[in-house]
Amino acid sequence: MFKGFKLTRKLENTLMLVFTLIFLGYISMSPDMNLESLKGVLIIGITVGIIYGLVAVGISLIYTGLDVVNFSHGEFFMLGAFTGLTVYNFLIDGELIYAIFPDAYGWVGYVIGLFFAFVIMGLFGVLIERVFLRPLTKKGGGYTVAGMGIIICGFGLSVVLLNLAYIIWNPTAHPFHADLGLPINIGGVTLPMTYLWMLVTGFTVAGALYFFLNKTKMGLGVRAVAHSKVISNLVGINVPLYISIIFGIACALAGLAGTLVGPTYQVVVYMGYIILLKAFASAVVGGFGSLPGAIVGGFTVGLFETSCAFFISGSHKDAYAFLLMIVVLLIKPTGFFGVQVKMKA
Amino acid sequence: MLKIKNLVSGYGSVQILNGANMKVDNQSIVALLGGNGTGKSTILKACSGIIRTWKGSINFNGEDIQNLPPHNIVEKGLVQVTQGKDVFPAMTVLENLRLGGFTLKSKQTLNDNIEKVFNYFPRLNERKSQLAATLSGGELQMLCIGRGLMSNPKMIMLDEPSAALAPQIVLDIFKNINKIRKDGLTVLVVEQNVRMALLLADYGYVIKDGVINVEGESKKLMYDESVKDSYLGGGGTTANV
Repeated sequence: MFKGFKLTRKLENTLMLVFTLIFLGYISMSPDMNLESLKGVLIIGITVGIIYGLVAVGISLIYTGLDVVNFSHGEFFMLGAFTGLTVYNFLIDGELIYAIFPDAYGWVGYVIGLFFAFVIMGLFGVLIERVFLRPLTKKGGGYTVAGMGIIICGFGLSVVLLNLAYIIWNPTAHPFHADLGLPINIGGVTLPMTYLWMLVTGFTVAGALYFFLNKTKMGLGVRAVAHSKVISNLVGINVPLYISIIFGIACALAGLAGTLVGPTYQVVVYMGYIILLKAFASAVVGGFGSLPGAIVGGFTVGLFETSCAFFISGSHKDAYAFLLMIVVLLIKPTGFFGVQVKMKA
Repeated sequence: MLKIKNLVSGYGSVQILNGANMKVDNQSIVALLGGNGTGKSTILKACSGIIRTWKGSINFNGEDIQNLPPHNIVEKGLVQVTQGKDVFPAMTVLENLRLGGFTLKSKQTLNDNIEKVFNYFPRLNERKSQLAATLSGGELQMLCIGRGLMSNPKMIMLDEPSAALAPQIVLDIFKNINKIRKDGLTVLVVEQNVRMALLLADYGYVIKDGVINVEGESKKLMYDESVKDSYLGGGGTTANV
């Protein structure tokens, strides 16, 4: 019956709007609906969203750079959280940090933990890419043919990294007692400091990434390699080096997000896979391969998930992200920003 | 300037070039002609390092450059200019040009070179902040050539600069190629538009089945019977077969 039936752009957008209105109407009828709870949901949703966004940007970056979905990305998130936790605990257990920063030892230690998670995960990502992924793509003449092997390699890596973390940190949940101070009150919403850190750091890093990609020479190279490896070669870009840089940045972002999430929850060996799936859903919602799309998708998934969990039912929290993904794929298969710039001629 | 000796190469396990020999003199325009699938573009790709050289040697300015990484070849001053559709469509004209000068170290040289390109192609200056995707076919070709000139090359290799363009624009682009040569660059141009290419070039090579079949001064080639039959639409050829 629907043979030859195709959604136009306008119809897609209208359907998306109708879905949004139905959804908003539904949650506004919830008995829990009032201004206070709405403000809370908005802030928590955006906070969770920026974390999904940071991980999704990494997935999108690797997708544009290597033409594969990195299924071990969640493990970098988990290892980043452990790196941050380990560095933080190491600093707090020592005497030095109390001597230098008697009043602010908590957040100084946390910042150092974030920094180490970022840098160590970045370097670790480059190492993984050089040692495990590069030989797979060598055969196709260097990143022109990636194919199935590298996807399976991603799954394998995920299992290996998980077990590595299992050996080092054992499977029990580690509490991350970041001493960041008392919760603060923003516009009537009491927000734990960890959430504020997520918001501020997340937005700063997203902004820095935007600046890096659009205003620096290296960022220009990254965008060029993401579009076409052959043309990048011809203009004199060292493509293998840039592939490593792309992988490193993506893993560094995941590691940073891990340390940001750590204090709000616990650090567990298994925390990686659910964030991978949700970030994947965010990337799809925003438009796969688009970096602004990944951030916007992260916000959308975060807000949708939080509001559903609060207003509808909290027991199915993890399912909502995928519900949204399915709806977006049905109505607007390209995602929000997924339209590639087409050549005129 | 560029000497290719017994070049054997191909894609995957398919051999395309079966020992091609070529020579491009300093500050000359050389045309490389041939039908579809004869290995014209393969020679360029081997020269710019995108595909591996299996056998033989490629010598540029006295140095063997076969199987060097592509970015090193660009740094040495040998740049391949792709067909017009191979730009970065989601970037502006200016960003595309900046990418062409990616190997340059100083910002001053980069800006000077952008000025130089705008002198050759004033149309690009008018459209410098537009996305490359919005350019017309002729402007895209100009952008590709301009991008090739950005890295201060000693020699550029053009891959079918006339492909899918109106005759008037082809003429304009070929005039500019001549101007580029007069400014001291060496040009190797791969073409299917044989008549135009031979009018422009000093010397021509005709490639067939991965080897150089005919070569000679372009004026002689234009009246060469075998070239005429094969590539200039020899008229009676098919009837004779």
